[in-house]
Amino acid sequence: MKVRRRADSLRMQLADSESHLLAGLIEDFSAMLAEADRDDPAMQRLFPDGYTDDDEASAEFRELVAGDLNSARTGRLQQCRAELPDGSGTISLDDEATERWLRVLNDLRLTLGVRLGVTEGEELDSADPVANIYHWLSAVQDLLVSQVLD
Amino acid sequence: MTVVWNDPVNLMSYVTHVFMKVFGYPKDKATKLMLDVHQKGRAVVSSGPRERMEGDTAALHGYGLWATIQHDQ
Repeated sequence: MKVRRRADSLRMQLADSESHLLAGLIEDFSAMLAEADRDDPAMQRLFPDGYTDDDEASAEFRELVAGDLNSARTGRLQQCRAELPDGSGTISLDDEATERWLRVLNDLRLTLGVRLGVTEGEELDSADPVANIYHWLSAVQDLLVSQVLD
Repeated sequence: MTVVWNDPVNLMSYVTHVFMKVFGYPKDKATKLMLDVHQKGRAVVSSGPRERMEGDTAALHGYGLWATIQHDQ
């Protein structure tokens, strides 16, 4: 994965294995959003309670926003999936697409973070392939966000 | 008030970016809030009427931040 800056866009260059990895992750994540299992800890992390001390207000808040948030997440995933090359290739990202990819990468990291039980200051098992995917996603997101923050 | 809580996954740079994007805060203010979240465990990122706080919280949830609404004392 390489990111290069052009005048008004970023160019994200993906290897064959990276495109396939992202496609698989996006597919899994889309299925999780479609299932919308409220008992799934990853779904609870992506759609947190609105209030810490008021269950009734939290339920109302969820009723109000969870559907729209889920549709928006699904829409971003589908757009990113459609941009992925079939194999190695380069994606050109304008501001809108960069923002969307940042959010999708973050959603994937949050989901894997819950599955891996990521905690502050504790190293993940470097022999765990999922941990390596998580670290790779973190590196990609960091590259993109550093371009945006400059 | 809208409160953002520390979590072990969100990158510090990403959190700063989200505060700039969602609230239009300048980079130094966004960075200070991000550091408060990281070091103190939480930070108040906006305040105002309930409806607006719910909007802010929903926007932050859309970015994957752990945000909650707190009734003013």
